[in-house]
Formats: sequence, structure tokens, C-alpha cells
Amino acid sequence: MQTEADYYALFEAYQRGELAAGARASLEARLGAEPRLQQLYQEFLDMTGTLRGYGERRRTRLKISALHEAMLAAEATPVVETAPALTHSVNPMLRISRTERKLREFWSGHRATIGVAASVAVLAVFCTLLGLDLWRSAQTGHSLAGYTMLRRELDKIKQTQRVINAKLDGSTPLPVNPGKFGGTGFALTADGYLVTSAHVIQGADSLLIESRNHQRYHAETVYSDVKHDLAILRIKDAKFAGFGRLPYTFKGGQADLGERVYTLGYPREDVVYGEGALSARSGFGGDTAFYQVSIPVNPGNSGGPLLDGQGNLIGVLSGRQDDVQSAAFATKSSYLVRLVDSLKNKQPAQPYHMPRANQLLGAGRSQQVKRLQDFVFVVKVYE
Amino acid sequence: MNMDSTTALAADAQLIKAIHGGDERALSQLYRLHWPMVSHFVLQNSGSEDDARDVYQEGVMVFYEKVREGSLELSCQIKTYLYAVCRRLWLKRLTTKSRLHGVRLLDEEEYGPYLNTGAEDDLQEAEERDRRFATMSEALTHLGEPCRSLLEGFYLLDKSMLDLTAEHGYTNADTAKTQKYKCLTRLKKLFFASYKEA
Repeated sequence: MQTEADYYALFEAYQRGELAAGARASLEARLGAEPRLQQLYQEFLDMTGTLRGYGERRRTRLKISALHEAMLAAEATPVVETAPALTHSVNPMLRISRTERKLREFWSGHRATIGVAASVAVLAVFCTLLGLDLWRSAQTGHSLAGYTMLRRELDKIKQTQRVINAKLDGSTPLPVNPGKFGGTGFALTADGYLVTSAHVIQGADSLLIESRNHQRYHAETVYSDVKHDLAILRIKDAKFAGFGRLPYTFKGGQADLGERVYTLGYPREDVVYGEGALSARSGFGGDTAFYQVSIPVNPGNSGGPLLDGQGNLIGVLSGRQDDVQSAAFATKSSYLVRLVDSLKNKQPAQPYHMPRANQLLGAGRSQQVKRLQDFVFVVKVYE
Repeated sequence: MNMDSTTALAADAQLIKAIHGGDERALSQLYRLHWPMVSHFVLQNSGSEDDARDVYQEGVMVFYEKVREGSLELSCQIKTYLYAVCRRLWLKRLTTKSRLHGVRLLDEEEYGPYLNTGAEDDLQEAEERDRRFATMSEALTHLGEPCRSLLEGFYLLDKSMLDLTAEHGYTNADTAKTQKYKCLTRLKKLFFASYKEA
């Protein structure tokens, strides 16, 4: 009886062709006839084949990794060698420093994340800027970027007033509701028409006109021209007896560049005088309905009269540009005159009697202001 | 087919012939030729230089073994074939490494038709073989000395029986041979037991 090991010896000799013809023929016959032997032979082949293949694989692996080393070495000392039989040229490798390689690896590994982070950052910045801008414009009322309308919020004043009242006598404070917003207005006719800016009375429930000597009148809006920022008001109190004769006239034409101009207004509780020159004949963004004047103005100056040296009313203050030094804007009086002319044709409740004679001509500035200040009012707006 | 790819195919055929004939320089040339492509691909897809090297060597090995066997059926350029193999390998590693489902690879348009290259089948075949070799290696370790070094010496390192006789201190070649066959029977048990198990 032969052992498995004996058979292996036989198989190996058979494989190598070392068997004599007789022995080979008998083995082949047995392999054909005996399934068990056949299986044994198959397993032998399988195993030795795997062993040899494994050896081959290990050699190949070594060879290939040697190739890699050789390639890296060749890069370090570039030797140009071309195999004569082959026409392909060897691709030159990029020489990359260690740091750069690290950077490249980092970049290729994380660029998606970096991209997302960068876009989020950009988005956040823009959202913040936009949000701040919206918030600010909500604070200052509606305005174009860089343009501020000069209507004044009165909440703070209400508080200081209470404090002052309490300080003065400790008695019950005057039952005064100071209104929500304030601006300036001035008389248009002697019998109760006034002019102010349209944005001052925007959204008004009721309007209160207050003169320098704290006389109060109720007023109503007659007409509001948002485009040119003009509004005509009329005093509706029954006991109102008229302003008296107006000392100034309305200029129908254009005023000249460089003309000395001044204004009176109520940026605070007292009347404030402001002076400057007419610096341009167009307004914010080239709007030809407006003048640019170099008068320092503040919220509350809106709707104030703009007069030239001869006491002609040439404009109505409207707003200022934030990012430019003392650039205020005023609606041209010619637009006001035109507006009044058009209103005259509409059968008004009360006719418009525009002043014809100028009583300020030739008077000194302080005299002019003294005459003028009785015709300039605080416009208080209740919403 | 344009002129460019025709000449490329001709060059490829020449290269394959040379490698099949055992030309080491041809293999070295092939290796250098396609390394930038694969390393770029792996680096692009969140791999390191070492990853690229592993993947590329594995890929070249698949190619090389097929060429040596003479069983390579190339329906495209070598470049595309290698790209397909390495891409597949790297995808596999990425999925196991990152446990990320649906890894998406950034592909170079240039090597576009990497599908249907037959690379997939070749790779599977190579992996099956890998598994077999791993089992064999394990079986050899379990076999113990002196059987392991005897069999390794004879089959893996192609040493002659006479050398092995001297190395292991057997009295003559026949004793060594007998020992070798005994070792084979033991290896057979170990190998087939674990191979069929797996």
C-alpha cells in the first residue's frame, strides 16, 4: 500500500517526465480509472501551483517596488535614457518640495470643506452688511443709501421735557403730547397755508403747528408731492386769525451758484439759524428739482425755508448726504410756485394769496431773521 | 479612431510584447509612464502619496501578471486599463476606510472610457488569487519548521534539492525528498481545510 507521500513522489516524477514509459502509461491509466487518485493528483497540482504562484507573486512585488525606488532615484538625479526599441518618451515628473507636497495633499483632501466654509463666510458677511444697512435705514426712516431725510424723532425730547418740568416746579406737568416726529414749516400765505416737506408729514394722523411763542394750531394736509418732497398744509382752527403780512416772496426762477443763503429751523426746541452758500444746482444723484447747499443741517430742519440775501425764498430744505461734508439738499422754489399755481386751478376751499412785496430787501441779516422767525413753525406729526 | 490613438495602441502593443518577453526596461518604462496619472488621481481623491504608491503597484501587478500569462485581452490603451484598475482599487479602499457610502470620485475626462475595459474581471481574478496566496502563507506559517523553510526553499525560492539537503543537514537528497513529500501532505491538510473554510 502506497502512502500519500509516495504518490506525491510519483506525481512529481510524472510531471517532470522522469518516469519510464511503462510506469507513465500505468499511472495515466490509473488516473483515468480511479477518481480518488485523480482527486489526489488534482490537489497536488493545485497546491504546488499555488506555492509556485505565490513565489512568483512575491518576486513580482519586490520587482515592482524596486521599480518605484528606481523611479524616485531617477527623479532625484535625472538621467535621460531612452530605450531604442520604444518610442514612448518618459513623462517628466514635477519636482515638488516637501512643504508644497503637504500643502497639495491638504488641499486635495479638504478643498470641498474649504470651499463650503468660504462660501458660508462670504454669505454671512453679505447678510450682515445687508442686515445692518436695512436696520439703519429702518432707524432713519426711508432713505436712499447715503441720503438722510431730516425729520426728527421726538421721543427723547419728551423724556427730557418731563425731567425739566419736574425740576422746575414739581407741579403736574403740562398735558403736552409732543408728537412722534418733527420738522419745520413756514407760511405760504397770510391766511393759513403752510409749506413743509412731504416726508415730514408722511403717515401723519394729525398735525400740530407750533409757533415760536408756543401758540398751537391744528392743521390738515392739502397736498403732498412726494417726488419733489413738498407738502402744503392748511390751518383749520376756527379762531385762527392769520399770520399777518408775509415779509418774503417766492422766487419763480433759479437762484445762482455761490449765492449766500440761510435757513431757520427747529432741529431742537428752539429756532436755529443756519447759513451757507448755494453750492450746486442739482441735488442728490443729479436730481434737478433740488439745490445743493452748504448749510449744516440736522434732523428737524426738514421743511425749513431757504432764503437768499435779498429775502427771496428760493427753496425748501429736504435732506442731506451722509458721506459728504455739509451737503444739504433743498427743493427749488420754482417747483413750489408751480405746485401752488396748479392747486389754484382746483377751486381750493380758500384762495391762495401769495405775497407780492418783499419787506426784507435791504435789511441786515439779523433784522431779516427777526422778521422771519414769526413765520417759521414746528410741524409735529402724530401717527 | 484618430491617428493619435492608433499610434498609441501600436506603441502599447510593442510594450506589451516586450514585457511578455521579460524585458525589465520595458516594464520600468511603463511604470514611470503612468505613475503621474495614478498619483494625481489618488491625490485628487483625498489619498496620500503612499496610498497612490500602493494602489499603483497593485494595479501594475495585475497588469503584469496578465501580460506574463499571456492572457491579457486589451480592448483599450494600457493607460485606460491601468486607470480603470487603480480607480477600482482606490474606490474599494476609500469605501472601507471612510465607511462612507456612495463615495464619489473625481475623474479625469481624458481617461473617460474606463468602463468595459475588462479590468474589473481581471481585478477580481487577481483578488481571488490574493486570497489563495494569503491562505497559503498562513498554512505555511502553521506548518512549522523545518517543513516551512524546506517547502519555501523548493517552491518559492526555486532552490535545488541538493542545496536544500546541504542547508538542512540531511544525509542525502533522497531523505530530503521524502521529508518534502511528508511536509506536502501536512500542508495539504492545513491549506485545503482553511481555504475551503474561507
